[in-house]
Formats: sequence, C-alpha cells, structure tokens
Amino acid sequence: MSGVRKVASAVALLAIVAALSLGAAAGGMGPFFDGIRSLGAFYLSTAPPQIAELVLGPSYRGLSSYSPEVVTSIVWDYRGLDTYFETAVFFLAIIGAVAIYRGIEEPVLRRPASGLSPIVRAVTKFLIPINIAVAASIALHGHLTPGGGFQAGAALAVAPIIVIVVFSRRYLLERGVTKLKALFFRSAGLIGIALVVLIPVIWSVISGEWAWVMQNQWKPGAEAFSYPAYLGGALISGSIWFLNLFEFLAVSFGFTILFLLISIDEDTVRSCMIRGGEECDRY
Amino acid sequence: MIEDITAIAAWAGLALFVGGAIWDLIAAIGMNRLPDFLSRLHAATIGVIGGAFYPLIGISLILLGTDIMGEYRYIAAGSAALTAFLILLLAPAGSHALARAARRRGLYRKDILVTDQQERGETE
Repeated sequence: MSGVRKVASAVALLAIVAALSLGAAAGGMGPFFDGIRSLGAFYLSTAPPQIAELVLGPSYRGLSSYSPEVVTSIVWDYRGLDTYFETAVFFLAIIGAVAIYRGIEEPVLRRPASGLSPIVRAVTKFLIPINIAVAASIALHGHLTPGGGFQAGAALAVAPIIVIVVFSRRYLLERGVTKLKALFFRSAGLIGIALVVLIPVIWSVISGEWAWVMQNQWKPGAEAFSYPAYLGGALISGSIWFLNLFEFLAVSFGFTILFLLISIDEDTVRSCMIRGGEECDRY
Repeated sequence: MIEDITAIAAWAGLALFVGGAIWDLIAAIGMNRLPDFLSRLHAATIGVIGGAFYPLIGISLILLGTDIMGEYRYIAAGSAALTAFLILLLAPAGSHALARAARRRGLYRKDILVTDQQERGETE
C-alpha cells in the first residue's frame, strides 16, 4: 500500500469517526433524556419487593418479581419467555455440535499426555476451585447481585477448557467429566427449566384456577398461584433462583461438551468424517 | 497517629497508581521496539505486574487511606487486593507457558540470546 493511500484511508477513517461522534453529540441517536424513562422507573420500582410494597402500595405486589436485582428479574420474569427460547437456541447449537461429532467421541489415547510445565499445572490446580466457587456464587446469588445462570455457566466453563489446555483431555476424562455425563447434567438443567416454566400450567390444570406460563409471583388475574418468594427465611425470588440454577447447569455442561468435542485431534475427526465406517467404530 | 498512617497509605497508593501508568508506558514502548518474542514477553510482563498489579494495590491503599465511598470502600479495597493477588499468580504462569512454548518451537532470535538455562538439562 502506497503512502498516499495510507494517508487517504487514515483520513477517511478519522472523518467517519468524527462524523459519527458529531452526529451522536448533536442528538442523532435520539433526544437526550435526563433522568429515568417511565419503563425503567416501572422496572426499578416493581422488581425489588420492598419498594413495590412500601412505595407503590400492596396492590403492586403482584407486579413485583421479588428480586432486588432488576436485570435478572427482567431476564427471567418480565421477559422470561424470551430467555426461555434463547436457552432453546443454545440447546440446538450444542445438539448440532454433538450431531456433527457423532460416533467419534472418546478416542483412546495412545500415550498419557503430560500437559504443560509443573509451574502452570500448580497454578491451575490452585485456581480451579476458586473458579468453581465464583461461578457457583454468580449463579446462586443471581437474583441478588449482577450475574445469573448464563454468566455463571460461562464462568464455570472456563474450568474444563483450562484443564484441557494445561493438563490434557484425558486428565478430564479420567476424572469422570465425560461427554455422556455432561450431556446428562445439561439435559437435567434443561428439563428443570422446562418444569419450572410449566409447573404453573400443570397446577392450573389440576386445581382449575387460572395461572400463566412462566408465572413467578401472583399476577393480577392469576392470584391463586405463586412461587414462594422466601425459602427458610432467605429471599429466593420464587422461580428466578431455580431458573438460574438450572440455566447454570445447562450452560456450563453445554460448554463442557463443546470443549470436549473440539479438543479431539483434528486428523481423527477428519478421517472419521471422510472415511467413516470401521475407522470410527473403534472409538 | 492513625490519621498519619492512613494518609501515608493513601499517598503510597497514589504513588503506586501513578507509577503504574509509567510502567505501562515503558511496557508499550518495549512491546513496539524490542526485537524478538522473548524480550517482548518481558515487556508484556512489565505491563502486567507494573501496570496492573501495582495500581490495583495502590487503589486498595487509596481506598483504605481515605473515606471516599463510605462503607463500600472496604469491599472495593478487598476486591482490588484479591484481583491483584490473582494477577500475581496468573501472569507469571501465563508468560512462563508462552516462553516455554516459544523456546520449544524455536520462535526466538538465537543470535541475541544471552543465556539458555534449559540448555544443560533437558528435563522440563
């Protein structure tokens, strides 16, 4: 690239950046709003139970999700069905990967891999428990502090990929983290989510009272059904805590399956996919 | 007496914080100017330890030495100290793994190599 063209492209980039910032500063992205919009004010005042009951009055209790963490209550309560189908999309992605790698799981390794040097291995052994504890706290406190099931699952999924890189795939398999078990726990998480979503409907069919799909606390028009907001004195925000827990299971083990699959030797996968048959039946 | 200690902690924290910026500048220059992978890795670790570990300790000291943020400053100071500790563990392990891999694959300039400690015993 010649000097003139370099200068020209730099000037063009700078001009684009300047134009975009000028446009944004002049109100091109909508008028500036100083304060909280009405929808945000509604979420902020109804999601935390104390504010909903004390400030807005007892009649607003039915609009509260009983979760002080507004983002999680929006994700799992106000727009819960959206998150439910996002989970379904993730489920389909994992199923696609498992289908592509069918028949070539768990190849027998010829020799035990030693992994990286002792320094890296020692640090990793020290950090894996911290990782798991942090992920569990993100998931189980998801209704109180920023975080939630998906973020916690992604945080926990760091552990298997680090173990695969630093130790080896075989190290993980020998400690019982196999694709079959990961599939089991992931399916358990998904079934849990579906159950939590459908329990109000099942209850409605049995009792004859009205209840919504994915209902958390009682709603105006469906007062009879409500998940318990407190369990043993601790705030669990009804269905949100359970949904976070099951999403944590589903996402972390879904990622674990992916990491186990993509860490298979590329030549093995390719020869299996091209030739198929007896080459892959060995595994 | 206790005011003196907190003031010293705050000023020491501020010094570490400003020092971190200088370390980061040195690391950035080194990343650009140094000749091969291993020496650039040295510059990168200066950026991590000097430009991330020390400033985090500095933030922790500043928070403990002043009364900004009220009660929350203890939480923030603890988080900063814990993050610094984790960086102190992780950064050397990561750079060690990179350096080891680079040495194994020969991805460095042998003509400017001063010494190779692993040359004598090819154990790990």
